[in-house]
Amino acid sequence: MAEAATRGGHPPWRTRGEQAGRLSRRLLIPVLGIVLVVAVLVPVIARGGPRVPQPVAFNHRKHTQDLGLACDFCHRYVRTGAHSGLPDASTCSLCHSSPQGTSAEAARVTELLAAGDSLHFNKLFRMPDHVFYTHRRHVAIADLACATCHGDIDQTERPPPRALVTIDMAFCVSCHKAEGATLDCNACHR
Amino acid sequence: MTRWGMVIDLARCTGCAACEVACKSENNIPTVSPDQAEMGRATSWMRVMAEPKGAFPDTTLEFYPRPCMHCDNPPCIKVCPVRATYIDPEGIVGQIYPRCIGCRYCANACPYTVKYFNWYGPEWPESERQYRNPDVSVRAKGVIEKCTFCHHRLQKAREDARAQGRQLREEDYQPACAEICPTDAIVFGDLDNPTHRVAELKEDPRVMRLMEDLGTQPKVYYLRQRT
Repeated sequence: MAEAATRGGHPPWRTRGEQAGRLSRRLLIPVLGIVLVVAVLVPVIARGGPRVPQPVAFNHRKHTQDLGLACDFCHRYVRTGAHSGLPDASTCSLCHSSPQGTSAEAARVTELLAAGDSLHFNKLFRMPDHVFYTHRRHVAIADLACATCHGDIDQTERPPPRALVTIDMAFCVSCHKAEGATLDCNACHR
Repeated sequence: MTRWGMVIDLARCTGCAACEVACKSENNIPTVSPDQAEMGRATSWMRVMAEPKGAFPDTTLEFYPRPCMHCDNPPCIKVCPVRATYIDPEGIVGQIYPRCIGCRYCANACPYTVKYFNWYGPEWPESERQYRNPDVSVRAKGVIEKCTFCHHRLQKAREDARAQGRQLREEDYQPACAEICPTDAIVFGDLDNPTHRVAELKEDPRVMRLMEDLGTQPKVYYLRQRT
């Protein structure tokens, strides 16, 4: 039997060892791929999404604590609009058009402003598309402190790479229940 | 208790369809081409139905603007398996798009055919994208949508009233169709508030509701043509 099979040069079957080797080689690439994807995704998901880059290393503590600026000095629409608004070059240039302080980052801001950079800050806290949230309702009418949802953002000295608080529906609902606010679906989803 | 409702005076309605247009523009309802509309793919939360009356040559058209009836006993919410459609404490029948699984039971249960299914994703000409209403979602493919009595306007009006420290007035909250109606045929307000016009109009002898015998208790009342 064995003779007849080997006569043609190629055995019609593979030995177990050969099969296993081929199988492991075939599996090697997908398994490596899955391991790589997991290795990249797990830290990203665990820490709440990708890093949010910012144009300059804004120091919230310096501005809000040491200089005593109110949140709505830069987040101008926090009491009137759905979005609180992010500052742009025109806001920064109220002070930084001339050199301020001693830090290298402040000097860089003045340089960037002089070069005509628009200083596009990126949103850190994002609501999903199906949530209709307004800052006016929560800040101006319900009189909530910013820290209620944004944590200690005013104490940070560098831009945090990710949101300090994970805002999910359980977070909203727990407060709505405690405060006796609406629990009507339509109030937030439509 | 607040119960939002509508009274439509058919004697005043000229069938101009301004309500349809206002509704579409307020609620981000995409327009479709005429051939698509021919295939029944047009969505119209408010629709002016025309019904021929009389025998030739003495025929007239009678117009029925038809929004969601916001029934007090809505057949649609009874069949929804995921509670994506529900009636809120003020009588507005809501549709929660992120929760809707697109089974279309509600669209089939509704005797007024006011629920529309999104068979396709919304398409917007580039030039119109910037005119969409940010207070209203753009519905995705695969969900049911319907008239909400412009619920987002109620929220905004409530906020305005609270910010100004006063009570909500009748004129603060009007849906787009009632606001635009040039002959004032569409009147909107709180059916249980005697100071609102609808509370008085719904007691008019001409009043009727569509398919009242089904027991759906619609909150949209019609005043018949004067004969």
